Amino acid sequence: MKFSEVDVAVIGSGPAGMAAAIKAREEGAEHVLILERQEQLGGLLHQCVHSGFGLLYFGQDLTGPEYAHRFIEKVRDLGIEILLETMVTQLSGDRKLTAINRYEGMIHLHPKSVVLAMGCRERSRGQLSIPGTRPAGIFTAGTAQRLVNVEGFIPGKKVVILGSGDIGMIMARRLTLEGVEVKAVIEILPYVGGLIRNEVQCLHDFDIPLLLEHTVTQIHGEQRVEAVTIAKVDKHKRPIDGTEQVVECDTLLLSVGLIPENELSRMAGITLDPLIGGPLVDERRETSVPGVFAGGNVVHVHDIVDDVSWEAEIAGSWAAKFSQKGDLERKEKITLKPGRNIRSIVPQTISGQSDVTFYIRVKEMEEKVQLKVGDLYQRSFRVAKPSEMIKVDLPVKELKKLDGRESELNVECEKGE
Amino acid sequence: MVEEKIVCIGCPLGCETTLKMDDQGEVVKITGTKCKEGRKYVLEEHRSPVRVFTATVLTQNSVRPLLPVRTNRPLLKTQLKEAAKVLSKVKVQPPLRMGQIILPNLMNIGVDVVATDDLVL
Amino acid sequence: MAQMETEVLIIGGGVLGAVVARELSHYKVDVILVEKEADFGWGSTKTNMCIVCQGGDTLEFRPEYHRSKLVWESMPLMEPLCRELDVPFKRVGELALIRNNEEFSKFQKLKSKAEKLGLTGHQFIDQDNLRQMEPNVTREAIAALYDPNIAIVDPVRLTIALIENASQNGVKVMRETEVLNISQKVNQFEVETNRGSIQCRFIVNAAGTSVEKIARLVNSDDFVLYPIKGYVGILDKNLGDLIKHEIHMRPDAPGQMNILTPSVHGNLFFGTTMQPARRGDYSTTRRIAQIGFENVRKIIPDLSEKDIIHSFAGYLMFRNWEVGWHECVVQASRKVPRLISICIGYPGVSAAPATGREVVELLRREGLKLEANSKFNPIRKASSVFNQLSNEQQKELISKDSRYGHVVCRCETVTEGEVVAAVHSEATTLDGIKFRTRAGMGRCQGGFCTPRVVNILSRELGLPEEKITKKGRDSRLLLYKTKQLLGEER
Repeated sequence: MKFSEVDVAVIGSGPAGMAAAIKAREEGAEHVLILERQEQLGGLLHQCVHSGFGLLYFGQDLTGPEYAHRFIEKVRDLGIEILLETMVTQLSGDRKLTAINRYEGMIHLHPKSVVLAMGCRERSRGQLSIPGTRPAGIFTAGTAQRLVNVEGFIPGKKVVILGSGDIGMIMARRLTLEGVEVKAVIEILPYVGGLIRNEVQCLHDFDIPLLLEHTVTQIHGEQRVEAVTIAKVDKHKRPIDGTEQVVECDTLLLSVGLIPENELSRMAGITLDPLIGGPLVDERRETSVPGVFAGGNVVHVHDIVDDVSWEAEIAGSWAAKFSQKGDLERKEKITLKPGRNIRSIVPQTISGQSDVTFYIRVKEMEEKVQLKVGDLYQRSFRVAKPSEMIKVDLPVKELKKLDGRESELNVECEKGE
Repeated sequence: MVEEKIVCIGCPLGCETTLKMDDQGEVVKITGTKCKEGRKYVLEEHRSPVRVFTATVLTQNSVRPLLPVRTNRPLLKTQLKEAAKVLSKVKVQPPLRMGQIILPNLMNIGVDVVATDDLVL
Repeated sequence: MAQMETEVLIIGGGVLGAVVARELSHYKVDVILVEKEADFGWGSTKTNMCIVCQGGDTLEFRPEYHRSKLVWESMPLMEPLCRELDVPFKRVGELALIRNNEEFSKFQKLKSKAEKLGLTGHQFIDQDNLRQMEPNVTREAIAALYDPNIAIVDPVRLTIALIENASQNGVKVMRETEVLNISQKVNQFEVETNRGSIQCRFIVNAAGTSVEKIARLVNSDDFVLYPIKGYVGILDKNLGDLIKHEIHMRPDAPGQMNILTPSVHGNLFFGTTMQPARRGDYSTTRRIAQIGFENVRKIIPDLSEKDIIHSFAGYLMFRNWEVGWHECVVQASRKVPRLISICIGYPGVSAAPATGREVVELLRREGLKLEANSKFNPIRKASSVFNQLSNEQQKELISKDSRYGHVVCRCETVTEGEVVAAVHSEATTLDGIKFRTRAGMGRCQGGFCTPRVVNILSRELGLPEEKITKKGRDSRLLLYKTKQLLGEER
């Protein structure tokens, strides 16, 4: 393929990138190119050897590699072009893209449309400013996952995990099964950060202590981690004096949140959601830069992979249309406004002219709530939790009721009876 | 009476439920659930607490040091640690295809361990 | 155990030991430099704020201190030195913010003091001009004192460059070599290390936070030093454009300082709170971190804690109050002949070039014969920094060596080629790679690149991955192989 002829360039080949590329190809884009920085397609799915993938998308409980496999085969069957071990280093506001690899050297592309599917990265110790020394033995949970499941190394044999995100809990189980003693999972909030099924199947099943409303206040050890001090926290997440205890360990894993990768989004001048960190998108998953679409965890971090792929398909589909027509029909946009106890809504704007699925996260855990989208939609929940994304489908016939009168739509989580 | 505590995973609420059993082991009372589906789940979890088992196994003669695997049927949650120990002794060689059995009849319980990825040279 | 002999032994491979080594390599002298860590500049040097200053902030231009003189003499030397050594140097200028009349009169005095001392360039900037120069700093600033001379460098890179150049010119360098004991013989010292003994005639004690300990080994007790710990935070590169100049604000509490500065790599550094510390304690605490952040928010009110990507303790040795805590140690021992001890405290990097010269002069006075080394080559070339090159240069580099086409650190766009080059210029640890190439210095703090860099280190050094360390000694990163803990031998 000549790089000058690319219709849709997809950056990243995880569950988002492959789904977007496949959809773009199926929707008639001739030359679809995936740029992947690793040695194989699939992104982080290869290190997720556990199951729980594809329950919704395929109706089957698959492991990460199995989920990847299904998409990889389709990518191959559809003749989608692939550049592996290729890092996109530049993306401009007019969709000019520079990438490098060791085979072609430097590659310049000017695709008709672009899909951002770079996924997310983990928050690090530095961002938490955890006090203490700076020894070896501190890893993010995802890095540890790669080490244990792909590279073949166990970081240490006595582990404390800070944060109860899904990867942290999944690693607690994996490490336990690998013969590691997981001393505790420490969570600053009064509830786990990940899915309830992971709390039960990864922690309870193996009697791994879960300490809620606790945090790590100090790291000890000059050369290698020797211990951490943990303490209970108050309502404002401040450590309570006198509750400190020292836990001996040789490794500290961090599972304290994921942030969309946004280097390229920034470089292209794309407007980002200040809270989520990913691009602001409309229901077509188009960013503020025409012809640049985004889907999956690069937009906002999802709970389950099935949603990542579905969302990326929207991006892929519209990227294909953009590449064929040179632009999209543009309508007045309706902006979604986060109201009471709403942290984020994706997409952030809609046209009101097509069906849309909203992905909503609340700020705080609340029981017995009513979720409202303007006057159009209302649903009761027994509980709403920041760690569990709420999906709301609004068909176009409902949205038509707005009749172009509204330029804003409020989303609120009201306290029920 | 014997009791069992089960956390329901049916929804984000994570209800902490308690099952009471009579002398024959029959469930006579469930408390702490808030919905029908919840009751269904905890009964099922009480009867057969099974889990999909996934792991990795060591490879030989491959650039990849590990191959991801799973069992073709769920295991009882009490069997997971033993299964991991057994699999730590297994070494596989390429070529292998996803879905291929790498260890039949794990722990003599009639469950096979299959590759969840291809293993090439 | 090995037995070695040399004329001069330099103890310590921080910026001061390195600059002395390089200065001595101008002459035909046998020199060995020993460093106890796995790489150079890992003590006080690496916790430096990267500023080349005139001493206006903390020293307040006090000529009575020797340290001030060293700083002023070094000022014109630093830029040419960096040019010779191919080390990034950027003259950014300093703005000392003025929030009220009291501060204004203090700075007026400071300015006239500087002028009397012949330090030129200071000028007052009014509020409008300050807004133009630095639109993001606090509205509380009503004016600023501008010093255009202030510059920034990368202290660890500078140290490594000095060592490389010294070594090019004949200095022998030994890492992971810790001095355990020193005995005085007739006209020489016998220095016992973990890697054998070294006989030498002269010792330059540049052991940083251990400088006192080394002096005590030969019963030299000319000075007493106290460790002072500071807190340094690094902000995300996205905020690199927030300020253009080094910004200094008078601290509101004693024992603090408040500085926000650009770095040569694009991140902003902020430094605050100086407080007495326990020797060898490099840990940060929640309290210091909080004060540090509160202080920097006085300069840039909109900063969020989320913008901090990394923080660490800065660590310096200060003299006791009787001598004046601004005084430094650059002296020949009164009791022990041929022993020179150096310790600048703050600002060690800024004072380094003149200190190097002065130490050579002290050695000469102690009897060292100095004959010019006609083969001395002042030029050292840094290896390629991929993300600083133009597209054309990048293309060319990849076509020459395809490993430059493989990015291992996405945050800082560091390539395999650079990591390999760093290993071949003697980096043997993860931190060594980090300080030399910046892999792991970005916003993900090594989350992505750690396994990759470990692979490359293992391959290039011919060591198993489990032997690779973060920073030498017992800092192994990966303790076991998968399955090993389940009783499987591999």
